[in-house]
Amino acid sequence: MKFKTILTLVAIALTLGAISIWVGQLSYSWLPPQASVESQLIDNLFSFLVTLGTFILLGVAGTVTYSVLFHRAGRYDLSDGPHIEGNVTLEVVWTAIPFLLVLWIAVYSYQTYIEMSIRGPMEMAHMPMASSIAPALAEPIDESVQPMTNIEVEAKQWAWVFRYPEKNITSTELHLPVDRRAHLVMRSPDVIHGFYIPAFRVKQDIIPQQNIDFEFTPIRTGKYRLRDSQYSGTYFAAMQADVVVESMADYEQWLAEARQKSPSPAFNQAASEYAAREQKSAKAGWATIVPASPPIVNYHP
Amino acid sequence: MTSIDRALDQEQLEQSKQATAQENEHDEAGNSMFGFVIFLLSESVIFLSFFAGFIVYKTTTSDWLPPGVEGLEVREPAINTVILVSSSFVIYIAERYLHDKNLWGFRFFWLLTMAMGSYFLYGQAVEWQSLKFGFSSGVFGGTFYLLTGFHGLHVFTGILLQGIMLIRSFLSDNYENGQFGVEATSLFWHFVDVIWIILFVLIYVWQ
Amino acid sequence: MTQIAPKKLPIEADSHEELLSWRRYFSFSTDHKVIGIQYIVTAFFFYLVAGIFAMIMRGELITPEPDLVDRTVYNALFTMHGTIMLFGWMFPVLAGFANYLVPIMIGARDMAFPRLNAVAFWMVPVFGIMFILSFLVPGGPAQAGWWSYPPVSVQNPTGQWLNGEFIWLLAVTISGVSSIMGAVNIVTTILRMRCPGMSWFKMPVFVWTVLAAQIIQLFGLPALTAGAVMLLCDLSFGTTFFDPSQGGNPVLFQHFFWFYSHPAVYVMILPVFGIFSEVFPVYARKPLFGYKVVAVSSLIITGLSAVVWVHHMFASGTPGWMRMLFMFSTMLISVPTGIKVFAWVGTIWGGKIRLDTPMLFALGGLINFVFSGITGIMLSSVPIDIHVNNTYFVVGHFHYVIYGAIVFGLYGGIYHWFPKMTGKMYYEGLGKLHFWLTFIGTTLNFLPMHPLGLMGMPRRVASYDPEFAFWNVLASIGAFLLGMSTVPFLINMVSSWIAGKKAGDNPWRAIGLEWLLSSPPDVENFEELPIVIAEPYGYGKSEPLTENMG
Repeated sequence: MKFKTILTLVAIALTLGAISIWVGQLSYSWLPPQASVESQLIDNLFSFLVTLGTFILLGVAGTVTYSVLFHRAGRYDLSDGPHIEGNVTLEVVWTAIPFLLVLWIAVYSYQTYIEMSIRGPMEMAHMPMASSIAPALAEPIDESVQPMTNIEVEAKQWAWVFRYPEKNITSTELHLPVDRRAHLVMRSPDVIHGFYIPAFRVKQDIIPQQNIDFEFTPIRTGKYRLRDSQYSGTYFAAMQADVVVESMADYEQWLAEARQKSPSPAFNQAASEYAAREQKSAKAGWATIVPASPPIVNYHP
Repeated sequence: MTSIDRALDQEQLEQSKQATAQENEHDEAGNSMFGFVIFLLSESVIFLSFFAGFIVYKTTTSDWLPPGVEGLEVREPAINTVILVSSSFVIYIAERYLHDKNLWGFRFFWLLTMAMGSYFLYGQAVEWQSLKFGFSSGVFGGTFYLLTGFHGLHVFTGILLQGIMLIRSFLSDNYENGQFGVEATSLFWHFVDVIWIILFVLIYVWQ
Repeated sequence: MTQIAPKKLPIEADSHEELLSWRRYFSFSTDHKVIGIQYIVTAFFFYLVAGIFAMIMRGELITPEPDLVDRTVYNALFTMHGTIMLFGWMFPVLAGFANYLVPIMIGARDMAFPRLNAVAFWMVPVFGIMFILSFLVPGGPAQAGWWSYPPVSVQNPTGQWLNGEFIWLLAVTISGVSSIMGAVNIVTTILRMRCPGMSWFKMPVFVWTVLAAQIIQLFGLPALTAGAVMLLCDLSFGTTFFDPSQGGNPVLFQHFFWFYSHPAVYVMILPVFGIFSEVFPVYARKPLFGYKVVAVSSLIITGLSAVVWVHHMFASGTPGWMRMLFMFSTMLISVPTGIKVFAWVGTIWGGKIRLDTPMLFALGGLINFVFSGITGIMLSSVPIDIHVNNTYFVVGHFHYVIYGAIVFGLYGGIYHWFPKMTGKMYYEGLGKLHFWLTFIGTTLNFLPMHPLGLMGMPRRVASYDPEFAFWNVLASIGAFLLGMSTVPFLINMVSSWIAGKKAGDNPWRAIGLEWLLSSPPDVENFEELPIVIAEPYGYGKSEPLTENMG
């Protein structure tokens, strides 16, 4: 009898495990394409957590469902269930196992974090003096190994402007060469914005009046979206830009082309929406901060 | 249950109410004091938050003092501090007199506490007037006036409470049911004092 | 234990009493039971208001373009939706439950400070109406989200002195004062007003969780108040605390805000854990599994909740060591919560389960909570959080906690104690319909938010890229379904309160001091203070709970 119980439990655990692993593998498809080194690391961690989470969810939900189906009181059964106040062994087990799991998840997350080598996560942004006290856990990768793409990012209400300091080019579209670490210096003149490219799985708030350093490595060519992730006021949702990751040759060619163009005003969603709204006689909304005029840049799509 | 039963029940209820009312009254002062202490603990977190904010600003702001401001004068505020801190002892003496049922002694020292508190506020007003920066003079001006102002508001509240307690002392059988009001006011006063000491160290001593 | 409902009273006395009781709810009553119901009903009104805001938002989001309302209106709606839901619905309704139940569960005749209690309640309509009236000021209500992060929150485009953000800050501060009054009252009541024999380990878990939650209010809320005062000074009095262009530090506000506002989630969920712990034993006819551990774990959650707030700021520019530290502390919370979840499962297992409406809601809430706990662990992991922070994944997680677990628990609690509060029985059929509509609506509304977030849709957007359309349409349909689900609830509550069948004193055959009282209880609750001799949840062991009652 006891052997049979154990066998049943093992069988259930194996089934749940198999389903969980399957869901864990499936979870990769819920995420955008893996367009950066960081995205692969994060997706592996996510898949691991989905596997674990599915197991726990199915375990709990399954137990509850079984109980509800098979431990129902009969219509006229007014008796009580067994008087079981607890079980110390069981309670110790279900305190210890979650604790160990948490440790496991924390260590795995920590390792992933280190591997992402997110540049000493912005001590400057947080407390200007903290850098001297606390060395960041994650060190930037050795910069001498690879040259970096240096770009200055300006986020303002509500436009993204990218400047390539070496060539003195400005653009409203972010172009990046593939397989080369990008180093951004981000600034905001007005409010907090969030630099977020889902396909790269990277995100960083831009605290106004500070230079925010940020790094990542795109590894897949294509066109992606950059979004403002920190609510920045009226036209927050419209504050998006395209990110183009291309081969080194294409990138060089784009730089050369952009250099030829003289600066002109780019299309700006917020500014044009605002202008349209102001022209209407019947005001539909409330007062808003006036969007910055469309940025004047060398290149805009 | 008939209505007569109900009426009887009602009567019993009334009786038990009276019985428990007496018990409760005994308890009530204890509850009030307990609740007041909890409230003060909670209130102290507001000050702690302001202090934390002050420390963060002080250690991270590059141009801490507004242009043209050298620092704060310490001498006058130090005298003020001594007066406020000693008033904590004076209020304690007043409480002892009340405990010994000596109402005139209580009133005298209680009034003395109020006078010392008022002098503190006066000193602070004089200091504020002599300062070259305002509430909106950067983070320094903001935190300075916020901290001293918020504390001053507490001192003012304390003096008001003391005034109420002083008036109450002239009403007959006021302290028959315990002296919760006086004890609470006194505790509040000590609290305001302790806050000031921390504040004084942060703002004036640590420059 | 089973009690037969007392024979009907003479009709005159009955209706007279009812009329009186009806009026009591509109008076400055100091009876904790009246105040409790006042809280719950007032809060429910604000819940409906904020729910309508949510439905307008979901109406906007049914298409990618910003076409239904202006962007400023959308921003105002999501700001006020969050604000009113939390300050107008969640905190008041939980204060209502605590008010109603704590005294009768610990054998007290009233709260420690009845008048303070009434004052705290009457502030709720005041600040609630302030929130709603702020739609009428020039420039509209606050539009900076319920976090009200500076600098956006202090930009004040109208330049008016009286603006939405100003009213918002004032109302939030009043709400804070009301909550502190409530917390002082509740903590004092629990610690000092327990009846003879009601030792710590004879208190029902609901009382434990309320205590744990109110302690958080006491140490957390003042930090928010401090932040709000400073923000108000920035907005209206020219200071620059959070203005980075003049030496201020906007991230400091985030610290103040989250130091309270993350624990605030525990303020809300802890009493719901309490409701789960009360409901499961009754409808599974088994003692709460591991009662003492469940009770104590509430206080562990309180302790941990004070050291997790930075996990909201992983993308704000937080140093690495801080990220790792707060990641770990956040994950640790899952241990005491896990204990509770397993204990509930242990309670249900092998019981004699009855699927009455309260049990359905508690079970649904439990499953939703486990799901939200799992997504919560994902969010606490810094690398994943960097991707999904400020996306719909967070919105989905949050609503699974707030709606899926907390509101489910609250509904369960309302159904469970409705007979006690009103003396009437609700209609079971309508209750079940309400449950299924709510459960399906919740899943349809909030589950699609998770894929949206993973795909990278930021929260708080009035428009979005067409690739997100499919899941958004589903979520919107779910939202409308949820809106509809309140209709059977309202019909049920109103009609059964007025014309429902009389419920006995203990229709669920539940064990607990409150079930030894008449339904509804007398003004003074207990004729004679009970002397408690047994632990709570003594199901399956016919042993009296008190020495001198029932």
